Formats: sequence, C-alpha cells, structure tokens
Amino acid sequence: MARTRTLVIGSGPGGSTAAMVLAEGGHDVTIFEKGRSYFSDLTSKRPGTVWSNDELKGDRYFGQPDPLAEPRVFRSSASDPNPYVGAVQPLPQTVGGGATHWDAKTPRYWDIDFQKLSLLGPIEGAAIEDWPFTYAELAPFYAEVESLMGVQGDVAQLPALTLAHAPRSGPFPMPPGPPQYSSLVVSDGCRKVGLHPFPAAMAITSETYDGRPPCNNCGFCSGYGCPIQARVAALAPLRRALLAGAELRVGSQVVGLRWQGSRAVGVEWLDEGGVRHTERADAVVLAGNSLESVRLALLSHLPDPNGVLGRYLMFHWFTDGSGIFFSERLHNYRGRDHTHDIDDFADPDFPGARAAAKAAGLPYFRAGKVELGGTDRPLDEAQQYQQILKYLSPGRPFGAEFKQLMRASLLRDRLLGLTLMGEDLPYATNRVDLDPSEKDWRGFPVARITYGPGRYELAAQGFYMPWMTKLLKASGADVAIAIPELSSARFPIGDSTVVQTAHIMGGMRMGADARTSVTDGVGRHHQLDNVFVGDGAVFPSSGGHNPTLTIMATALRNARRWL
Amino acid sequence: MTDLDRRRVLKTGGLAGLALVLSPELLAACKSAAARTPTKEKESHFLFFTQHEAAVVQEATARLIPGPQDDPAEAGHPGAREANVTRYIDTLLGALSLSPQRIFAGGPFSNRAGWPTDDMATFIGLAPAEAWAWRRRIGAWQAQYRTGVLHLDKAAGGSFLEARNSVRDEVLAKDEGGFATLLFSHAAEGMYSNPEYGGNVQLVGWRDISFPGDVQPRGYTPAEVSKSDGPDPYHPSGIGAALIGLIKGSNGV
Repeated sequence: MARTRTLVIGSGPGGSTAAMVLAEGGHDVTIFEKGRSYFSDLTSKRPGTVWSNDELKGDRYFGQPDPLAEPRVFRSSASDPNPYVGAVQPLPQTVGGGATHWDAKTPRYWDIDFQKLSLLGPIEGAAIEDWPFTYAELAPFYAEVESLMGVQGDVAQLPALTLAHAPRSGPFPMPPGPPQYSSLVVSDGCRKVGLHPFPAAMAITSETYDGRPPCNNCGFCSGYGCPIQARVAALAPLRRALLAGAELRVGSQVVGLRWQGSRAVGVEWLDEGGVRHTERADAVVLAGNSLESVRLALLSHLPDPNGVLGRYLMFHWFTDGSGIFFSERLHNYRGRDHTHDIDDFADPDFPGARAAAKAAGLPYFRAGKVELGGTDRPLDEAQQYQQILKYLSPGRPFGAEFKQLMRASLLRDRLLGLTLMGEDLPYATNRVDLDPSEKDWRGFPVARITYGPGRYELAAQGFYMPWMTKLLKASGADVAIAIPELSSARFPIGDSTVVQTAHIMGGMRMGADARTSVTDGVGRHHQLDNVFVGDGAVFPSSGGHNPTLTIMATALRNARRWL
Repeated sequence: MTDLDRRRVLKTGGLAGLALVLSPELLAACKSAAARTPTKEKESHFLFFTQHEAAVVQEATARLIPGPQDDPAEAGHPGAREANVTRYIDTLLGALSLSPQRIFAGGPFSNRAGWPTDDMATFIGLAPAEAWAWRRRIGAWQAQYRTGVLHLDKAAGGSFLEARNSVRDEVLAKDEGGFATLLFSHAAEGMYSNPEYGGNVQLVGWRDISFPGDVQPRGYTPAEVSKSDGPDPYHPSGIGAALIGLIKGSNGV
C-alpha cells in the first residue's frame, strides 16, 4: 500500500475519527485545526485542560468562533429582507471540535433514517433518498465508536420501539450514572400519559473507563468543556491518530484547496500569525462541519456541475417545553443536564400521527427524540429577566423586582426543560452558500445559511407541541408551555428568529447519482477522486436524534474504504 | 518609596541582591507593605474609569441591582455595590491592557471546592481572531461608557451622584442610547459570574440566589443529583405572578 500524504481539515468528531483510521492505516496524516487546543498532552488518556465551570467564559465565546471576527449570515428564505449577521449555529472551534462542550448524548439513528425512501416513501417537495448503507451495515461501527468514546446506557431499559428500529448486539460499555432528579420527575409524567422514558445513551463515564474517572456530576455539562475528562468524545480517536504518527496543527486556517482535473493537489493555509503556506496533498478530508466544509469547497471553486453543493442542509426543528414547579426546586444545576429521553415521537406510527399527517396532506410525518430535563444558568436567567422586565415594569425595569425574580428562580431552579428535536427533510432550498458581502476578520466571505421549515416539519411540530405540555402537566408542573425554538409564519412566537440547534447535517450529501448528491457512497467527492468528506455534511437525511455518534460511525465506516 | 523608585532599585540591584542585604525582619516588613500597597491601589485605581465615572457606575448599578443600603426591600440581600460590580466592569473595559488579557479565566478548577490552588485566577491569552474581535467590542463599550456617564449626569440635572433615587431611576429607565441596558447586562455579569472576573465578591451574588457556582473537583454525590431537596413552596405574587402570566401567554399550544 502506498503511503499517502493526507490532510484532514478539522479536529472534531468526524475529522479525528477519519484521521485515526488513516494514520493507523500507515498514511502520513496532518490535521489542520483553525482553533486552539485547550488541552495539555493529547496523547494522554486524560490530558489536562483549562475548560472549567465558568458560565461567563462560554458567554464570551471561549473556544467558539467569535461572531464579530467570524460571523455567519442567516436568512429564513431567499427573499428574507433582513438577513441576520452574527452567531448562527456556532459549534466549538477548537481541538476536539463540536464535541468539546457538547451534551454528549449518543443515540443511534434508526433503520428508517437510512432507508427513508424505501421504507417510508417520498414526500412531495423534498428530495428523500436512502443512504448508501443500511442500519445493519453501520451497526458494528456504532458499537466500535461507543466503545472508543465510552458510552453509558442500559439495553434492558431501552423501549421495544427503540430496539426494533436500532437493534443492538451487546450491552453498552458502561451502566447509566445517577439519574437527574428532574429527569425522574418528568419520566413519571411520561409513563402516566403512556410514553416510554429510558436512561439516555451518552458518552460520559459512569465508572472508571479507559484511564478516565467517572463523572462527578458537577453540573456544568451541556455547553461546557469537561474539566475532568469524563467526556472525551473526539479526543479518543484524536489520541490514537497522534499515537499513530499524525501531526496536529492548531491555529491553522485552511483557506483553499488546490486541484487540477479530477484531483486535489494540496491546500493553502494561514498560520495563527496570518502567514500563508501551501501544503502538498495526495488526499484531502473535509471535516469542518457542513457549514465550514461547504464554505471551503465554495472558496476553492470545487467543481459543482449540477449545482448541488451546499443544498439539502438540515438542522432539526427544535421545540422547547418548559415546566415550572411552585412546590419545590429541581436543582438542575447538578448532574449531566438531563439523563432520560423518550423516542415515542420519532415513530411515524405514533397514535394519531398518521391521521394528522393525512389531514395535512402528507403520507406520514415524524418528530424525534425528546430530552427530559435541563435548565438555564444564572447569567442566562438574569438576561431573560432583564428583557422581560422591560415589558412587565416599563417604568422601572430593574431594582428589587429583578432580584426577587432571581431568588424565586422560576426560569432556572424551578424550571424543568424539555427539548424535542424533530426530523428535517432535505430540501434543495435549505442551503449554505457564500455571502456576497459579509467577510470574516481576514477578509474571506462567510457562510450564508438559508433555512426554513416546510409543511412536513410544521405539521409534525403542530401535532407534538401539545404532547409536550401534556406530559409536563402529568409530571406535576404548575405551568407548562411549549415554544418552537425557531419562529415561523405558522408559529410566530419562537425563542429566536435565527436557527441555533447545533445539529448541522447535509450540504455535501452521499448518493449514487451525481445530479442529486455531492459525494459518493463512501463520502468521496463525485468529481474529485481524492477529496473526501468526513463530517455530517454527507448525511442524506437528518433522522430525529443527536447526530454526532452517527457522524463518527459514518466517518469510521467510510474512511476504512478511502485509501 | 514610589513605584518608580522601587522599579529602579530592583532593576539596578536585582531582586536576589536586594534580598541578601535585607534582614529577615526588614524583609517581612517590606512584604507586608507590598501586600498593603496593592490593596490601597485597588480601592483608588481603575484600569479604565475616572474616579467620577467609577462613582457614577457604582451608584447607577446599585439602582439596577440594589443591596440593603439602596432599597429597604433588599434588607439582608447584597447587591451590585456589595458584589463590587464596578470593579468587574472596569476590569472588562480595561481587560486588553493587562497581560494576559482578562477575558477568559483559566481552569480547570478554582479553590472553592477542595482544590488547593485557584487555576481560574490565571487568565488565558487571546488568539489573534479573538483579540481582533475584543478590541472592537471593548472599544465600542468604552465609548458607550464615556458618553453614557456624561448623559446620566446631564439627564439627572447636572449630577447623577447628587440626584435623588427617584430621579436616578427615572434617568435609568429612559435608557438613552441603550446605556442603561448595557450597564444592566454588565452589572448582572459582575453579580453572578465567577469572582475571578472581579465581581461577585465573597460570592454574594451566588449566595443570594442559592447557587453554589463551580464545584469541581468535588462535584455532587449521586444522592444530591437524584433526590429532591424537599418542599420549597413558592406563592406567586407581584412581579412573580406577572411573569407567570407572561409565560402562559407565550405558550405555542
């Protein structure tokens, strides 16, 4: 086998997994990471870190692209008169990528996600396709990644529905850790209304695992880097890549691929000081996430004869449920954000769903999993009251009333949050391209996202929102509401007018037909033989579950077929 | 001895040489003097604010997040004044004049939950893109504070510091140029953020809202995570009841 000079762009879950496969396969691998490393020795199983329990640090964009220096543009449609410029779907930009301060939930996708066209059928207006492989083919790669990262869960407590759609050949590497009080409260409510809660699969240690300590429930989990390495995610494959000889270049921004004919020949990159370099390559792996990988492909003028590049972008439509409890505090500031999920709403045959879909003129619809539990932190909470008081006390929107609200903590310590992540269909109109005017701090055009829910998403959202309030009331909440995270013409009251789900899929999707896809059945660029995509951009469908595990399993499966 | 003199001595004599000629008693005296000097400076010296700006910011933030001496309703509940929110804001506005810049506190742990040292007190320097962004962000804020304080004085009839509380509240509620909104955001950050950033002194902000803050490396026990803390009834009234009404009204169902 020839030893190829392979450049991997991005050190997140997909890039690190691909780098591991290629470096262990004997190739000469260099990983380019635009951000910095906040870890000491990355070849250690438990590197030191400066991630910490610090809400303000996160609010100041630590480890993330600063939206002043590296903004994105968001439009709700191509005719949106007021594009938003700023933070749009920001994922961590640092060694370890999106999985440095993720929530670490690692469900598997379902069989019907991979064979959506053949098992569920087409939807008018959407480009529904099957993946190039089935659940059964990906299952062993799922198991391998779960073992690599260290995933906790309990097969015995998984609902029959989940096991039917995502069967497992063996137990989870670790049992579930201590359940979150709020997750237990809302799990009881779920059972009362006939739903099926279970301990969520998550890549967090519940016992000593692979040289790492068990999680000690510090509470700064989702949105925070783990200070004790109970949650390593991408660092596990990255470590193996480095031990196999891969080089990691931090603070290095790849600004262009150089290619001739049907082959990439190298990349141009800037070091942290802005000095431009070129690097020869026999193969290039794009793994900066859908938005940044497509942006780089566009900046590099990669061939796109069919105008597919950047299309079929998917984010999941999130809907938040909020239950407020007057009788007690739920102390959601302890533990792992939430510990239980339900999968019931991911089922196209959920009671009443087929009829509601038919009434909306659709053959079927699905939502996705619901995360049971979670809350805000004090700085977020204070910001909310600051805004709310302008409405409630316009004459004096501050003072003792602000402090009374902070102490009562209706929106933090008495709040039980739910997050429903609904399946997005692939639409040609939901896409990422280069903004014609906005530039990053170095003068490169930034990614412009055009995204809005379709009939399918809104029908499912309308059907499942009342279920969110129903299960919260059954849990004993004194106040129970549901609000879409993204406002729309149908649901104008949303948390935001800009999508912020942190689930980013599609844009360079896999497929056999170059007219409707950008990459082939292993994530290889249709027109460039030695350019591969190792992130979620290759997803043909979004599923209704957190995507990271599937990004890693797909990168593992595909990278083994590349060189 | 002025600071300038001290630096000259150290530069010419060298620290090691100086220590050799000093008796242990003298050295101890010097150390305690040195320990006192910064404390004194801390009270009077600001990175960005003039004395007057600091005084106005202190009184204005005490209206936004009042403590016992600012509002009788807050008896027993420390506010922005007690949390030293003014120091927090000054540190933010002057953050780039320090090395490393005071934007990102370090880690992984503070010394508040069983760790011997406060890692968070050692700040993390900015990457070039971050420095580029923070220069713009802080530059804009500095201009807002400079003109914002002038406007507060003007709107209060010449002197915000001499105005009655009712006038101060009126002026702040007008929110000219969005300055009160900015001030409130920063005040809340100084009230409820990790104390390494300069506010939340003695954790008074966290204590007032029963928030323990960072707990690594101790963490929480499984029982603390999984069990109820017991009943803690809340009876909505006043602003709380109004908030409940607003929340119910935003239901999408």
